[in-house]
Amino acid sequence: MPKPFPNIVHAEGEEPLFKPGDQVKISARYPMGHYRVPNYIRGKRGRVESVIEPRAVNNEDEGFGRNAGLKRYYYRIIFPLTELWPGYAGPKTDELRIEVFETWLEGS
Amino acid sequence: MSSDAHAHAPIPDAGDAMPSYYEIMETAVRELLVEKNAIGAGEIRQMLEVMDTRTPALGSQIVARAWVDPAFRARLLANGRATLEELGIDFFENTQLTVLENTDKVHNIVVCTLCSCYPREILGLPPDWYKLKPYRARTVKEPRAVLAEFGTLIPDDVEIRVSDSTSMVRFLVLPQRPQNTENWSEEQLASLVTRDAMIGVVRAAIPEKTEKSR
Amino acid sequence: MTQTEHLLTRLPTEMGGLDGGPIQRVEHEYAPWEKRCHALANVLDIHKIISTEEKRRGVEALGSELVEKLTYYQRWIVAFVNILFEKELLTPEELARKMDEVAARHEPSGG
Repeated sequence: MPKPFPNIVHAEGEEPLFKPGDQVKISARYPMGHYRVPNYIRGKRGRVESVIEPRAVNNEDEGFGRNAGLKRYYYRIIFPLTELWPGYAGPKTDELRIEVFETWLEGS
Repeated sequence: MSSDAHAHAPIPDAGDAMPSYYEIMETAVRELLVEKNAIGAGEIRQMLEVMDTRTPALGSQIVARAWVDPAFRARLLANGRATLEELGIDFFENTQLTVLENTDKVHNIVVCTLCSCYPREILGLPPDWYKLKPYRARTVKEPRAVLAEFGTLIPDDVEIRVSDSTSMVRFLVLPQRPQNTENWSEEQLASLVTRDAMIGVVRAAIPEKTEKSR
Repeated sequence: MTQTEHLLTRLPTEMGGLDGGPIQRVEHEYAPWEKRCHALANVLDIHKIISTEEKRRGVEALGSELVEKLTYYQRWIVAFVNILFEKELLTPEELARKMDEVAARHEPSGG
């Protein structure tokens, strides 16, 4: 595998901010108009299952006709159901997986 | 009266019965877009033909092949879209397909709480219940209760993984192969795989009253 | 959060975590116009006239009453019309005239 050239400056978003296994928190932001992050995961903590390739445009902006702009990563995030629902009655190993755009993720 | 647009329109359904307001709207929009050259005259008809080839039978064949061919299974799990494109199954735009494998330890179930994302390129159009409130509200919150309503009981030592589709990735569940099917042909195996098993609400199973024919 | 803010920050189409009743295993045979509507959505997306994401946002923007009262494909076609108006690809008058024309094809003849 050839070594990458040094001194290349990456455009914003070219490197994923998170990697599989990272603990993350979904931003507690409540936009109107259009969103692709359900309310039930806002502010919740999970971990990164995978980085989805390739980078893509923010689908929340696409909802208003924007199909250009900086591309960033979507990540598949794992949440234990016990984290999402107080008093979840099933086994603690039950989980939810959901794709989230990078601008909604914070390190945790 | 634009007779050109009328000549290009698909044949109206239901004889002379008055179409509903919304059907009239759909027809009017389609004809106006063709008149304005925004879309081509035959494009809707062609798209309908494409849609007709995507049915659960297609998904069943994919699952059956994954059951009998470990190399195909591995490729399918690694990259669903690329593997299926090799079989001539094309996808729209940037849609991806992730195949979720059920095992003795993991049971997958798929939902879209924000709208109705569904692997239409494989399974065709989704059933109403998948798009209605009860399934979309409860599956992320109480998947075991939802599964029980479909007659599916998952033991506590099996992990439930709920996938809520929100992006360009679509999900297809790869159910476990039923026991006692060792010598079955791919076609026979495909007959065991229902649409609901590929959504993840039921397992693939040999129907109780079926006699296996050789 | 007041009640009205809630109407803005929780879209009427979002269902996750709400109370839902028993799952009715309803299925209906798709009517030809519904399939045509779905085909139209795909064609509009391919042409980048209305992307899938714009369609979703358009359905959300119908508001809670229409989202509740219209059926699935009724929501789509109304959302398409609204977006086509916004994009100046269609005007209300053009559509009204064409709808009248289409309806007239089905009226019983004679008087």
